Amino acid sequence: MRYRRLAASGCAVAVLSLGAAACGGDSGSSGGSGGANELTIYSSLPLQGTARGQSLAVIDGEKLALEDAGSKVGKIKLKYESLDDSTAQNPGTADEGQTAQNARKAVRDQSTILYLGEFNSGGTKVSLPVLNKAGIPQISPSNTYGGLTTDEPGAEPGEPDKYYPTGKRTYARVVPRDKIQGAALVSVMKDDGCQTATLWDDKTTYGAGLARNIEGAAKTAGLKIENRQGTDRNSPNYRSIASQVKSDCFVWAGVTGENGVQVFKDVAAAAPQAKLYGPDGVTEEAFTNPAKGGVPADVGKRIKLTVATLGTEELPQAAEVVDRFKTKYKVQSVDPYAIYGYETMSLGLDALKRSQAKLGGDIKAARQAVVDAIFATKDRKSVIGTYSIDKNGDTTLTDYGLYVIKKGLPTFDSKIAASAAAQ
Amino acid sequence: MASESVTRTPTPVRASGADAVRSWFSKYGLIILLAALPIYYGIKDLSDDGNLVRLGDNLVDGLSNGAIYALIALGYTLVYGIIELINFAHGDVFMIGTLVAFGLWGTIGLTLATGTLGIVFGLLAALVVAMAVCGVLNVMIERVAYRPLRGAPKLAPLITAVGMSFILQNVGILWIGASQRAVPDLIHAQQQLFSPLGLSISRGDVLAVVATIPLVMLLTTFVSTTRLGKAMRATAQDPDAARLMGINVDTTIALTFLLGGMLAGAAGLIFLVYQTTVWYFSGFIAGLIAFTAAVMGGIGNLQGAVLGGFIIGIIQQLAENRIGAEWTEAVVFAYLIIIMVFRPQGLLGEQTREAG
Amino acid sequence: MATARLRSGSQGAALSRLRDSKHGNRILVALVFLVLIIFPLFRDPLDNFVDDMILALAYVVMALGLNIVVGFAGLLDLGYVAFYAFGAYTIGWFGSDHFAFINNEKGIHIFSGEFVSSTPGIHLNFLLILVVAAAICAVVGVIIGTPTLRLRGDYIAIVTLAFGEIIYRFAVNGDSIEFAKNYKLTNGRQAISPIDQIDLPFFKEFDSAFTIRPFYWFVLSLVALVLFCNFRLRDSRLGRAWIAIREDEVAAASMGVPLVKTKLMAYAAGAAFGGMAGAFLGSYLTSVNANNFQFGFSIFVLAMIILGGLGSIWGVVVGAVMLSFINSYFIPDVFNSIPRDLGLDFDLTQLSFGIFGFLILIVMVLRPEGLIPERRRKLEFREGLGETEGIGTEEEVRRVTA
Repeated sequence: MRYRRLAASGCAVAVLSLGAAACGGDSGSSGGSGGANELTIYSSLPLQGTARGQSLAVIDGEKLALEDAGSKVGKIKLKYESLDDSTAQNPGTADEGQTAQNARKAVRDQSTILYLGEFNSGGTKVSLPVLNKAGIPQISPSNTYGGLTTDEPGAEPGEPDKYYPTGKRTYARVVPRDKIQGAALVSVMKDDGCQTATLWDDKTTYGAGLARNIEGAAKTAGLKIENRQGTDRNSPNYRSIASQVKSDCFVWAGVTGENGVQVFKDVAAAAPQAKLYGPDGVTEEAFTNPAKGGVPADVGKRIKLTVATLGTEELPQAAEVVDRFKTKYKVQSVDPYAIYGYETMSLGLDALKRSQAKLGGDIKAARQAVVDAIFATKDRKSVIGTYSIDKNGDTTLTDYGLYVIKKGLPTFDSKIAASAAAQ
Repeated sequence: MASESVTRTPTPVRASGADAVRSWFSKYGLIILLAALPIYYGIKDLSDDGNLVRLGDNLVDGLSNGAIYALIALGYTLVYGIIELINFAHGDVFMIGTLVAFGLWGTIGLTLATGTLGIVFGLLAALVVAMAVCGVLNVMIERVAYRPLRGAPKLAPLITAVGMSFILQNVGILWIGASQRAVPDLIHAQQQLFSPLGLSISRGDVLAVVATIPLVMLLTTFVSTTRLGKAMRATAQDPDAARLMGINVDTTIALTFLLGGMLAGAAGLIFLVYQTTVWYFSGFIAGLIAFTAAVMGGIGNLQGAVLGGFIIGIIQQLAENRIGAEWTEAVVFAYLIIIMVFRPQGLLGEQTREAG
Repeated sequence: MATARLRSGSQGAALSRLRDSKHGNRILVALVFLVLIIFPLFRDPLDNFVDDMILALAYVVMALGLNIVVGFAGLLDLGYVAFYAFGAYTIGWFGSDHFAFINNEKGIHIFSGEFVSSTPGIHLNFLLILVVAAAICAVVGVIIGTPTLRLRGDYIAIVTLAFGEIIYRFAVNGDSIEFAKNYKLTNGRQAISPIDQIDLPFFKEFDSAFTIRPFYWFVLSLVALVLFCNFRLRDSRLGRAWIAIREDEVAAASMGVPLVKTKLMAYAAGAAFGGMAGAFLGSYLTSVNANNFQFGFSIFVLAMIILGGLGSIWGVVVGAVMLSFINSYFIPDVFNSIPRDLGLDFDLTQLSFGIFGFLILIVMVLRPEGLIPERRRKLEFREGLGETEGIGTEEEVRRVTA
């Protein structure tokens, strides 16, 4: 009986003390902190696990853009807060519970004016409905899953409307959706003379969605897809299934963190004649650089990658940002996602500037003004090119860059013409 | 009461139908079950390709993967045999072994450009170092996490092992980061060495088997002939009696952990050379599969662990190559369940002490 | 206890009588529940801490379920995640638009909430789903339990683990398994979302984008219900049968305890609670993602009950709340922000795993019987009634025999 009493009082003490601690330690709590002349921009990215490198690059890009604007819009100061949407149990990707918590945190905070995230399309599926109900504008630096904005083939039934419970759009992204990347990959493969292609994906929202897009584009372009497989990142190797790759070409729809390096190594060894292709999910140094654990140089020579940024020769305005980035963060190469991060924040700041008039007043009206401004973006000149945001929240940019691996870094090779298949 | 039992004639015990089926299956059915997949696919291959090359390749890959699992499974089975603990941290000791070997390669400058002799000596050095480090690590883990709990309820050290596993995984994360990392393919593990009968046997395959067999034989000899080995077997059978005979149980247990750790370290190096990838999470998965192998073979039984390792390796390769990589684990575990149902003591029967 | 009574004066005597009485206990428990019920009113409707509490309470239900299997009946179940998966997929199938093409895309609605009253898919009322989840999981529990009936101790662990892994595989690959045109088994790692929010009769439909308090009160009532069931089960004939099996199967069988039925009942009961918690979490997290059903979850719940005190109901509750908070609040929010608060530039998020493991290690080494051990075990320990289960160390032997 003593134990029950002990347990009960222990429970009570624990709960109350944690409650007391939480009361004090809850930063960014509601109550309109800062009053009407400070607004908050939240960024939600997976900061643990395999995605950490790319997420940090995005954050650096976002911070640089914010600094370039002086951390303010007009007379209104802007506060930047970075949130982690991954957990220790589920590192490397957006965890549903944590993402929902981040979204709710942004909703609670009456000074939230912009939410930059998620990194993973699967995470946005959770945060978007919540933020949509609160009317908070959301821009993603990297989501490419089509079903978030359109119901084109590749999306599931009910998408995208199920992510917009209010019926109004509040989400935009600066990267082209995967329908375009699928078409870009297929067009590169056809140009290289592929007759048949083996297509594997990593079974995540991004990978499976992109694979569907690739299949759709391949059907239109007359490229035969064979040996459709899903890979699991926990497999020690893929030699067994790699030995069945008999096509001219091989393409993997996935991210580095899902064991991309091992996939390509095994396929390269098992199919020495096949040409290898990868999407933006693997266009990062962790994949390309053997010194950082990426694919060995002899495999890297055979790989071609697509990502929605173009080289600095094509985009002179990007060169200046890239240089400043290198100086400020003291790095040798700039991850493409850092550029996306920079543009995500820049687009947001531009929308804030255009809706300045409403920013000081009622927060609901301010948020709506920013949403409208985002969707009114037309012919914006930016570091990733000139684009507009269409009524779905997608960018009108359809340029994809073809990258090859030189000296362990993804290097721009040429622009992929937006082929007829993309339309 | 007494009169009742005297007047009643004892009824002869007749095995029911279900029991008869079960015992028959237990003897022969298992062999049929295990051979089912290879036979089925062998027939399929003969009709499709006209030869058994693909099946042969699967078996070869299965044996080499299985060798690595066998080494890890031995560690599990040794520890379980002596203190009846499922050491969840064992797989992560193996993972630390891969990291130690990888680190050593970097330190002594082994790269793709090193000459053959250099590579051979470098690998041997890495093997010795990995085995030593993992052996010592295992002993330390036992001292810190399991010895204080010897008198505790059985499940307590299980959870401590889990805690230890998390700590080791974090060490892995701090060492090489959270992503999988490729390592230089020093021996060009995928290169075909020779191809008897059209099968393709790569260098990695040969290395895995050639490195494992001596280690297993050394271990078996040690356990069966030396005094310390005898002490291990005695403690596993009955610790109190062993104490009565003057055996220092604590030291024997520490020795068992040392041996288990050394095998895990060796497995780590072989894995590194064969797979050319390091990952902080690889130990958890390999450990799970190796533990399955140990149980399948009969936990506590050394030969059972090795046999289980090879069998699981083969099933895994067959499933991966024929059914699809996404279903491999499901097939392996389904096999395990069926074997457990029909032969609960494992394939070669367990050799742990009487259930107390 | 007797000495305490002697020592205190008249006032003290009254107080200690109150303390020692059963009513005193009940009053304390009632007080705690009262605090738990009203504290969200002092926090923001979308508060983080309340969110952590909701998760902790859902885990309490899970832990109580596993406690029946492992704690009461002594069957080491390492595949508890299977029941979480089935509970979550119950609501994934019957409380979302996963089967969007059913009924000519008009959907089947049975007492569902107004938000989803016209959307395609199957939408049942959440209470119905709870019942269905419990039923499905009970059946699954029996199926999983049957092969383990003749196995001893650690072999049960491996078989249940195997089942858990197989179910995880089916969950992940379910997006490519179609048992009819356009009817996928699961949505794999791409998750079934959004899941319907809870709609109870007489209450407004829940909406976790605006306030999570209703979820909190719902799960609190669920916990109260499950606690009640657990206490009744433990003190019932069935509960005593479970404990008898745990202590000595042969003796139990010879006293007439039906082994098969009792064991299967344990699995079924534990599974049912797990299923209900799974369905609740599916609705609260608004998505059912196969990623959540990995082996690590089974270990997590097992750690909760062992940390708390195997077989002890209150111990399990404390263990579950503690581990859940360490995982979702203490490490991410408190621990990781320590360097920042101290002005250092060091990032502790990389150590989350290790800290968690370290805490588990420390607690187990210092207090292996758990925080609030079951009374029986405590008696065994203290008064040396049972034999030590392990083989003891040389030191202990010397101490005993000296």
